Formats: sequence, C-alpha cells, structure tokens
Amino acid sequence: MKKSHNQNLAPLANMNRRRFLRGLGACIALPTFASLAPMRLLGAPAATKAPVRMAVLYVPNGIIPSAWWPEQAGADFALPATLQPLEKLRDKFQLIAGLQDLSANPGPDGAGDHARAGGTFLTGVRIKKTAGSDIHAGVSIDQVVAQRIGHLTRFPSLELSCDSVRKAGDCDSGYSCAYAYNLAWRSANQPLTPEPNPRLVFERLFGTGSRDERINNLKRRQQEQHSILDFVMDDADAMQKKMSGRDKQKLDQYLTSVREIEQRIERAERMPVNNPAADAPPGIPAEFGGHIQLMFDMLLLAFQTDSTRVATMLIAAEGSNRTFTEIGIAEGHHNLTHHRNDPELIGKVKQIDLWYAKHLAGFLQKMDETKDVDGNSLLHNSMIMYGSGNADGNRHTHTNLPVLLAGNGGGTLSPGRYTQTDSTPLTNLFLSMADRMGVQGLERHGDSTGRLKSV
Amino acid sequence: MIPGLRPLKNSGLWGILALLLGASGGVAAEMAGAAQFHKDIQPILTEYCFDCHGDGEKKGGVAFDEFTSDQSILTNRDLWWNALKYLRAGIMPPDKKPKPTDAEKQLLAKWIKTEVFGIDPANLDPGRVTVRRLNRVEYRNTIRDLMGVDYDTSVEFPADDTGYGFDDIGDVLTISPMLLEKYVAAANTIVAQAVPTVSRMVPETSIAGSHFHEAGAAPPKRERETMLSLPFYKPATLAANFPAPHDGSYELTLNLATKGEFDFDPAKCQVVFKLDGQPLLEKEFGWDNTSFPFHFDQKLTKGNHELTFELHPLKTAPGETNTLIMRLVDVGIRGPTEPQFETKPKNYTRFFPRDTVPSGASERREYAQEVLRRFATKAFRRPADDRMVSRLAALAESVYQQPGKSFEAGVAYAMQAVIASPRFLFRIEQNEPTTSQQGWAEVDEYSLASRLSYFLWSTMPDEELTRLAAHGELRKNLAAQVKRMLADGRSEAFVDNFTGQWLQARDVQGISINASAVLARDDGTEKQREEQFAAIQARQAERAKAAAAGGTNTARRVPGQRREKGTPPSFFKPRFELDGETRAAMKNETEMFFASVVKEDRPVTDLIDADYTFLNEKLAKLYGLTNLNVTGSEMRRVTLPPDCERGGVLAEGTVLTVTSNPDRTSPVKRGLFVLSNILGTPAPPPPPNIPALEASEHNFTNTPTLRATLEMHRNQPLCASCHNRMDPIGLAMENFNALGMWRDKERGQPIEPSGKLITGESFKDMRGLKHILVTNHRTDFYRCLTEKLLTYATGRGLECYDVETVDKIVRDLEQNDGKFSVLLNDIIASAPFQKQRNQANAVFADSSESSANSSDRRIVANNQSQP
Repeated sequence: MKKSHNQNLAPLANMNRRRFLRGLGACIALPTFASLAPMRLLGAPAATKAPVRMAVLYVPNGIIPSAWWPEQAGADFALPATLQPLEKLRDKFQLIAGLQDLSANPGPDGAGDHARAGGTFLTGVRIKKTAGSDIHAGVSIDQVVAQRIGHLTRFPSLELSCDSVRKAGDCDSGYSCAYAYNLAWRSANQPLTPEPNPRLVFERLFGTGSRDERINNLKRRQQEQHSILDFVMDDADAMQKKMSGRDKQKLDQYLTSVREIEQRIERAERMPVNNPAADAPPGIPAEFGGHIQLMFDMLLLAFQTDSTRVATMLIAAEGSNRTFTEIGIAEGHHNLTHHRNDPELIGKVKQIDLWYAKHLAGFLQKMDETKDVDGNSLLHNSMIMYGSGNADGNRHTHTNLPVLLAGNGGGTLSPGRYTQTDSTPLTNLFLSMADRMGVQGLERHGDSTGRLKSV
Repeated sequence: MIPGLRPLKNSGLWGILALLLGASGGVAAEMAGAAQFHKDIQPILTEYCFDCHGDGEKKGGVAFDEFTSDQSILTNRDLWWNALKYLRAGIMPPDKKPKPTDAEKQLLAKWIKTEVFGIDPANLDPGRVTVRRLNRVEYRNTIRDLMGVDYDTSVEFPADDTGYGFDDIGDVLTISPMLLEKYVAAANTIVAQAVPTVSRMVPETSIAGSHFHEAGAAPPKRERETMLSLPFYKPATLAANFPAPHDGSYELTLNLATKGEFDFDPAKCQVVFKLDGQPLLEKEFGWDNTSFPFHFDQKLTKGNHELTFELHPLKTAPGETNTLIMRLVDVGIRGPTEPQFETKPKNYTRFFPRDTVPSGASERREYAQEVLRRFATKAFRRPADDRMVSRLAALAESVYQQPGKSFEAGVAYAMQAVIASPRFLFRIEQNEPTTSQQGWAEVDEYSLASRLSYFLWSTMPDEELTRLAAHGELRKNLAAQVKRMLADGRSEAFVDNFTGQWLQARDVQGISINASAVLARDDGTEKQREEQFAAIQARQAERAKAAAAGGTNTARRVPGQRREKGTPPSFFKPRFELDGETRAAMKNETEMFFASVVKEDRPVTDLIDADYTFLNEKLAKLYGLTNLNVTGSEMRRVTLPPDCERGGVLAEGTVLTVTSNPDRTSPVKRGLFVLSNILGTPAPPPPPNIPALEASEHNFTNTPTLRATLEMHRNQPLCASCHNRMDPIGLAMENFNALGMWRDKERGQPIEPSGKLITGESFKDMRGLKHILVTNHRTDFYRCLTEKLLTYATGRGLECYDVETVDKIVRDLEQNDGKFSVLLNDIIASAPFQKQRNQANAVFADSSESSANSSDRRIVANNQSQP
C-alpha cells in the first residue's frame, strides 16, 4: 500500500554535470563572444561600455572572525586562514570591517537571531516576529536596484538558492520560515522565492530543448503566453476589486507578477537572447559542493549573457545545520558555531568557513577568466558581495559583519585592500553599490546613514 | 462582547448606528469585565501569582498589577492567553507552590474567555482565513485529478514557505513573478500532455517495462507502470504479450536506457528483442547514460503476440564496480496505422463529451462553451459564470479559427488559461448569503466541499462532493461524506501531510545523521574515529602534495577504484546506515501507525502509548526487535512484546532522528519536541549567547554523558527555568540513539532514563513517561493535537477567540475516550471550519495592518473605534 521512495539519481546527475561543464568551458573560451556585443546596444546606457553587475552571496551562521579578518589594514594585508583560497585573487577583492546590521539585534523580540540575520540582511529594516499571519519585512536592495534598472535586461533580477530542503515545523523561535529562506523581498510581504534547481534556472534563462531549439522554444512559449496572461490578468483584476484586506494583497501579488512577466516578454522581443554553448545542466546534484558550483555556473552564465545584472544567492539558509562529511565534520554547522571558545569546535567551524571560501574562490576565478564585451574580465565589471548576517555565530552578533566585496564594479571600486569603517550600517555599502549600478536618486535604504565612501 | 468583533455594515446610516450601538454596548461590557476582575480575579492572582508576578516582582517580564487602566486589563490579550495556557498545563504556579483550586481555575478561565477574549460560546467567532494558494502538494494532486497527469511539482516548483508549522497557511503562501511564470509554463506543459488536439488518431498503447516477466511465468501484478532495471551482469529472458485488435500495419518502439555511474565500467551486454520469436534487434551496449528508441514496422494479424527481451552479459571484470544498468523503459505499440482503424485519442472523452465536433461556426462556439464551462467549473471548484465561459470560448476560437488548428487545440489553449487563472491557483471562498447581523456566516457549500477535500485529500473535491454542494445537500450529509472520504485512498494524503509536518516525519528523508559518529559515541570510540579520519586526511594531503610535485594529476580517480586503498572499511561502512530504504521505512511506520488510529477510530492517546507498530525486516533489525519474525521489505503490523519500550510516535525512528543532532542525540530538542507537539506548551526560545552542550564538556575530566553535561548546564538558574521542563523528557528518551536504535550505554556508561517532570510526576523510564503523558497529561495532549489539526484544517494560525472552539473539542474527547473520529468530526463541525467572517468584517479587522507591530491588530482596530 505504500509508495516507493524516490530513486537516487545522483550518479546520473554527476555524469551530466561533467558534460555540462565541458559545454560551459567551451562557452567561456568562446573567442567570438564579443560579437554578441551589438545586441546589447538597445537600452544600454553607453554602447561601448560593459554594464556593471551585482550579486550578493549569503553564507549562514557567521564566519569565525579571527580567521577571517587580516591583522593589518591597507593594501598589504596578509591573507588570513579562511581567505587562503583567494590568494590568486588578492587584488580583485576588498574586505570591509565595521559594517553592521542592527535590525538583526533581538531588541524587544527576543530570540530568533538567525531568522533576523537572514531576513534583514538586504533590507536593513526589522522584520515582524510572526509565525505567519502578518509577515512583514522590507524591500531588499537587489529589488530596489532591479526596479530601477531591471528593464535593461531580459530578467530584472535572479534569485538562486542551494538550500532546497525545507524543514517541517517552525524555523526559528517563532519566525516564519519565509524570513530565513528568502533574501530578496519585492515588498514587505512578498518574498521572492529563490530557485534551487540549476536545470530550471538554465531553462528559464535560455529555454528548453537542445541548443538549436531552445531559443525558438523560448520565443514560441512567450508568444503563446501573451493572450493567456491577458486573460488571467483581466480575471485577477476583476476579482481583486471585489476583495479586501489580505485577500486583496494576495491577488495584488498575482497581478504584479503577471505584469512583470508581460514586461519581460515585451523586453525579450526587443532583446535577443545570447544563447550559450553549454547544454542545460542536470537537476540538483546530490552533493552540496556540486550544487553550489552548478549554481555559480548559472550565475556566471546569466551575467555573461547579460540576461540579468542583479542576483542574490542563498548558499545556505541562515541557521543551516548541514554536516560536512566530505571534510570529516559530522556535527551540524549551526551546532558547531555555538562553540563557546572551544578551540576544537572553532577549528571545525573554520574548516567549514574555508570550504565555503574555496567555492567562492572557484567562482571568482571563473568570473575573472571570462571576458566581458569590453575586453575586461567579467569580474572586473561586477560587484560580488559575499557575507553573512551573523558575525560571530557563537554570540549572534550583528556588528562587524564578515563582508567581502569582489570585483572592480567596472572600474569604480578599488579592490585589493582591507578597509575598516567605524560601526557603519551595511546598508550604506548597499547605497554605494546601487549608485554604481546606475540607480539615481536613492537617498536611503533601510537604516542607512549615508554612502560608504571608501570602496 | 467586544465591539471589535461585532458586525459592522460599511454602508451609510446603518453603519454609523451599528458602530454607536456596538461601541456603547462594548464599553458597558468592558466595565463589567473590569469590575469582575477587581472583585473575583485579582484576589486569586494576589494569592497565587504575586510572589513572582506582582508587588514589584516581574519574573519573565510578567506582572499582573501593572495595568494602566481598566481598559488595559482587558486589551492585554496575549498576557491572558499565556496565563491561561500555563495555568491549565500546570506549569504555573510552579511545583511546590500553592495551586488555585479547580473552582478558582475555572473562574479565571471563564473570565479570560468571556471578558477578555469576548467569546460567546453560543455563537463562536470563526475568524477569517486569507485566500489560500494551492501549495505544491495540493497543486500536484489537483492536476492529477483534474487532468489525469502527474506533474512533479517537487522538482518544478520551489518549496512553499511554512507558518505555524504547516505549509497550507494562507497568509504565508505568496506568489512571486518566478512562481507565476512557473504556473504559466506548467499550464502549457500539463495541457499539452493531457488534452488531445485531434479527434481521431492511430491507436497507441505501451507496455511498461514492469509488465515484462520471466518467459513462461505468469505476468506479475504490479501496482505501478514503471521501467524495469536489469544489471548488465545477469542473464535475463523476459516476455510480455499484447493483443493486436485488427490485421494491419503496426509500429513498435522499444525504449531502452543505459545507466552508468561516474566511474568507467568496462562491462558490456547484448540485447536481443524478438516479436513472436523472430529477432527484431540484436545489439551490444556499454558504459553510458543514454536513451535508445528503436523503431520497427510490422504487419500483424489480429490476436495475441509475444514480445521477448533477452539480455546476455558479454564482458565483466570480476570484483569491479558492477554499476551498469539496462533499463527496459517500455515498448510502444502504434497501430493499426490504416485510417479506418483510427480511434479517439486517450483522454478524449475526459474533456470532449461529443463524438464529433460540429462544423458550423456558431455550433462550434456553443460546443466550445459547453466543454469549457464543464472544465472551468471543475477546475475552479465552483460554477464558472457566463462571462468567464464566453471569454474562454472566445480565446479558444481565436486559436481554432487559425488555419491548420483543430477545434481541440483551441479549447486546449483556453484550458491553459483556466489552469493559470487565480480561480484555479487560489481557493476562493464565498459565504452563504445572510441577513443576520453577526458579521459571519456559513461558507457556501462549494467552499465547504473544497475545505473538506483539501483537508482530507489534499486535492480538489470529487464529483460526489461537487454534486452534493451543487444541490445544497453537503451539510446535510456531512458525516457520511467524511466517512466516505476517509475510506478513500486519497486520504493517505491527509496522513502523509499532517504527520509529515506535525511530527516532522517528512524531514527524515533529508536529515543528515552521521551513522559512524553516532555509533562511535554509543561505543565510546569517538576519539579513535576522529584520529582515523585525521590520518586519512593527512595521507590524502601528502599524496596530493607528492602528486603536485611530480606533476601528475591524481584528482581523477582510476576507473573502478572506489576508495583509498588501506582505509578500514568500517570507517565508511558503519554497522547501520540511515539509507534510503530505512528512511522510507521509518516514514511509512509513522504514517501507517497514524493511519491505523484514524481508520480503526482508536483513542488518540494510542499515538503516544500503543502496543503495536508497523515494521519491515530492516526496521525491525534497526530497532533490535529481531525475535518478532519480521522478514522482507514489506511493512506490516506488529504486536510488541509487553515489556517493549517501543510503541507510540515518541519511540519511532522518524521522531527520534529528526530531533537529533547530526552526530548525537539531543535531549533538549527531544524535550522541546514533546513540549511543543505533544503537550502544547513550547518552552520559550533560548536567549542569545548560549553555548552548545559540547562546550560544557571541558569542565569534566573524563568524557561525560549527555545527562551529566545537561545537569551542569541546568545549574545556571537562567537555563534551569526552561531546561527543567525539557531535559527530563529528553533524557527519558536517551535509550534511543540518533538513528532510532536501542542502546544501554552512551560513551561506555549506562544510561539513566529516570526523571521527574516539572509538574511533579516521577518516572523510571520511557514507559513510565509515556504512561504519565497519557494519564496525567491527557488533556494537554488532547488540546495540543486539536490545535495542530485545527491549524492544518483551517489554514491559519489560531487566535485567542479560538480557545473555546478548542476547549469544546477537548471536552468531547474527554467524554468519548479520545476517539479520533470525535476529534475529526468536531473539527469539521467547528465554527472556523464551517463559517467565515464576512468581507466587510475582514476589512475592519485588517484596517490596522499598517501598524505592523501591534500585538493584536483586531484589538487595535477595536480601540480606534471607541468614541
């Protein structure tokens, strides 16, 4: 009478991943990539200049500060242990100390630092403590940027996740799981659920089917969708008018989503798709490391093909208690971070921090090796922020957050340094990043007090 | 009665009048409530609570004498709600302090419910659930029932956010552009797969791989059509029969797929495929991951024909990996291809009732309307109105008028719009028209049908429910319908989804438990294990270094070599592993056990303490129940020996693993699990800066047991207040390790499971604890389970005005031996399930939503309406 459980398809996935990567390699090496440049003329601010891209990569539970922060500020800092994998890239990123997210502090809300760290990271506003009835966060910086410049690309923004397994039951001390699992918030009550499946990311960007078919498939599907979207929009509009309160809010979400897809289709008709040489990747690999790598590959493809310029990636959800058996760590990450200065436990957390940093390094390296339309590297034209909303996971602190900013922002950033600021809202950095994305007139974001000058 | 909960007509003079009447009545009621507080309630509080919560004391931030006004006594609902919970659970006043008499307790409870919450037991406020989007489980099931196709939403859609522990909470289920994009794409895929776009076609059938059986043997009885996986290394000769309906031309398609692992495997095999003994294909296969369709055109005579599939191993390397699989997916049979034999496509009558499509334009339009009305009514779970139907028909017409497009293709296109529509994706409910001034009414019968079917089946109502609703006869036949629904196979969804979330049984499939670490801890060999691993790592690092120096690339493994030579296999292969089969068996155990309580209408206390469970051989072995003669992979009901500690959900693998850390048990998590999910009195979350248990270990000279470490932990008064509630429960469960196995020792030291609950009861072990839970704490469990099930059933978190709904059900359970049917029927009969606040009222209730931090928005709204 009982169902059989799902078969483990991991080996197949591995195989496909290998093939996929081969394809991706070809894509990166593609010497004629510059020929795609003219396609970007429409809508781009300056025809000769490559656009700036921005991504935020989130790791949970903080990073052991002693192995993350260099001893000395300036350009000649010695790479601390956790950042060793980035040795080759040392002049391509900067570390910024002193940034804080005070909205994640307990205040009157008590426990729940993990939900808060994740839920406020990109918004800089306090989240309402609720198990569900009245979720309330803020608009995240990626969405602020996407709302201003998203019309320049086929996708205003991309939300990715490598944390696909949800826990049943409560998430963190009375906070709905929506806070920990969503970095991007379109409005205070509309989180943008990230996509965990690499294959679906790829197909969303470039269509389904073989390389030759997929652009046509994408086009055909979009054409077909036109009148269906008109139809459901009309219906939703009529329904929404008759509703009130939260019901109305839900229909609003539906309506704004329809509108956004329509706009996207309309843009897609103007903007040709840069079809990558790679094949679509398989689904979610069984191995976490493989999953992260594939997702990074997707992010790179999205930037390289200028399908979007704004992305967020939840490498793991805040409070993640994942084990790392591949490096011999049987305890859960979250459990370990409550180490109470036990050197042995700290050592294990450091190993996890290092493991994540290795994957980051792999991604940045690829970004650095990929040429953008202007001849610079893709990394040069990007701002890749990597960090956590917890600083010291042991004590749940939200000051002096581990923040790494890679890339030159198209020549507007000065990487290769370790700078220290004095108790500055993280949102100040976001404002500075938004400026470089071409967002104008943004005066505040969350708890910001100004711009971060020295980046 | 609280004016905020009164009906408010938002129109003209009546509205103002109602407001005035409501408000003045409310003020009077409020004065009475406050007066009673001073007269009856305050003395009780002074006597039993003020030691800690009055006269300047404010433990836990709670004081009962700091109200700023009479009004604030009554508006502080959260305070009173918590007071009521703690009082009834026996947590407050604490052990060894004088306790109020039963009469005093009842007085207090009644005052809170009537005066503070404004509950009228004769007319309970049903609240209002926000429109619910179908979650991905409900979507998949609804598509299955509506369209007859299985769309795997667990892959295609992202996980739904949860609230109050469940994934069917209207407020939490949001829609983003990405999700809507997925819905539109899914509508396209689903319709393309389900709805035929031609009236006639060449007949097609297929024989699934699972239908092939050993030549000469009887055909197997399989539940599911699936592929057949055959290893490359074992000879096989399989056969299947099919009837050819007529003499004619047929096209056979053999679909094979090979599956290999990442590592190269040199094995090869030969496949011979025969029709009636005549070979159609002879071919060699090797290491690959590819699908192979082979087509054969054949003339067949009417009657039975035999297909034979032979697999001959060609080359194997003994002792190698042996990972290659040949998959016999299916054999497609298309024909006879002669036009006179064309038939209606599969599923045609499901969507198109007529034999032929009319030819005239207006007749066609009429038929399109007929088809789409029927379809949309089903999909929307209520009648589609004329405007909707004619718009859909117009959409269909815009397609089928195009050259080369069939009528069916046009209708199929309109069906995509139906499935992408908010009326399909959301559960839109309506109230019965009412003239009463209550502010709420019964939901209409269509809404009720959906509430029932999504509650008990996680899918849309079937024809019978819809028919009854259409005739207004569902409420009249509720009991019979609930009975029928529970007997239906679809009710498995209720068991899966409710236990999957209430008991977190879902999580057992994904949770990471490191078996070798857990077992090493039981054996007291943790140190050795860590040293072993460090040695392996060191060796690997050395080798990598050497390789880097020598310039060779060792990153790629030599084909066939599975692991480092010289690694002790025990390190990689612990005695027990939480493999896929074991996890599935655990989940099945919990589900089948819960289902047995439902189907046999047992007392719900059996869920905690029972003398039976469901096992297969693997699970019985893991549990150490080897003398019960349980063999094979099939799960079956097993009566447990009288002295067995198993029985009940707390001794099941699911609960025991999901409440563990990856490397060890967590008595704290287990204790908290019982408090939250069995007793309904979760401990508040810990303050920040709390060390993990391991950190305390360094205060010991030897390796301490968890009990010893926890005791140390509890020495701090701040920790003790909550840990005294959680730890004794969790420690009673210590005889079960993080894999759910029985153990007598932890870290080589005997386990001491005895303890004392904060409410005063002592127990010797797990059996004793279970006994206390189902006797002394039976009411707490009834209440907790009722709250969980009500939350799941209604799709919203409970509010304070629901307290009486829950109390009423708990009373019924007390009077009826806690029978499951009483719980279920009461929930279905309850106000929140049967009724809904009117929209006008909902507007009122939500009017203060902008003040996001108000603890209870309804009260704020209420205050604002005071003159």
